[in-house]
Amino acid sequence: MMNTAEFDDEGFLINLDSWDEKLATQIAKNENITLSPAHLEIIHTLRTFYREHEVALANRPFVKLIKNTYGPDKGNSIYLMTLFPESPAKIAAKIAGLPKPANCL
Amino acid sequence: MNTTTTPQDILILQRQAPYGSSIAREGLDFILTSAAYDQNLSVLFLTDGVFQLLTNQNSKAIGLKNHAGALEVLPLYDIENLYAVSEDLMERSINPSDILAGVNIINREQAKQLIEQHTKVIGF
Amino acid sequence: MASPYSSQSSLSALKFAQTCIDQQHTIYRVFFYHDGVHSTSQLHSPAQDETNVFQQWQKLAQSHKMDLVTCIAAALKRGVINEEEAKRYQKSQHNLGESFELSGLGQLLDAQLNSDQLVTFG
Repeated sequence: MMNTAEFDDEGFLINLDSWDEKLATQIAKNENITLSPAHLEIIHTLRTFYREHEVALANRPFVKLIKNTYGPDKGNSIYLMTLFPESPAKIAAKIAGLPKPANCL
Repeated sequence: MNTTTTPQDILILQRQAPYGSSIAREGLDFILTSAAYDQNLSVLFLTDGVFQLLTNQNSKAIGLKNHAGALEVLPLYDIENLYAVSEDLMERSINPSDILAGVNIINREQAKQLIEQHTKVIGF
Repeated sequence: MASPYSSQSSLSALKFAQTCIDQQHTIYRVFFYHDGVHSTSQLHSPAQDETNVFQQWQKLAQSHKMDLVTCIAAALKRGVINEEEAKRYQKSQHNLGESFELSGLGQLLDAQLNSDQLVTFG
């Protein structure tokens, strides 16, 4: 069951440790996204990156990260826009249970 | 934001050690913001700021984010003009092999020239 | 960038701004960052014989239509918040002075790009 208290008003997870793939599926559903292995591949890459660097990425560096990891076929904004429409870095971070990029950005 | 359309050259000075105060972190936030707005950035680490570059940092016990880990994201933001002052490293017994890869080590005279070459300089 | 009353630099910034105005310079924007965001809380209550830093900025802003911006990320984590953000983060109080606007760090970059001189205090 979706517990609304676990999310902020923009749908970002509040307790980052409570994330699992099941929760990711629910967050994605709220964004009208059906989570596929292609989504999860990106989500896990983003989570690994965050564990190491603790920085919430803006769009362009996000695309570059995916490009460095999987090459230009996936590391381009069209591919990532298809998976995570409108604002790929923000939506992917939300589904990955990571903090939203800071207000200052 | 009504920024002018032509990117400008901006030099950011990082002068403080990473954890005693949050200035270093807030300076980094400014760097990432400026990069997101497509400016040409150079970052100069000087005086105690060179401590930020040590790769072997573990800040978990004091409840703060790892600063070196965060600096590693700069290449993803296309920030490649990173400089550290050799005399400041030496005075603090920091071996150049113990700092972040990709940082250009320059001497004080070159650092002075770098600052003089920029009309837009901001210090943290 | 430094906290009022703990550090002299908030007073230096204030005096510098007043002097710039007196000498007919144009101030594009004053950006409050780091601990400097504390200068923008209207709850300052110093003794009568001390300078109220907040009140002085507010007065300057009102008499000269200055653009005073408080960094939103730096302010929110330190408990300097306006009515709108208080609602968003479900806080019962707010304290940002009415002459100040909460906005992003992009405003500091914008000020740097559009000014001849950038001066930082703290």
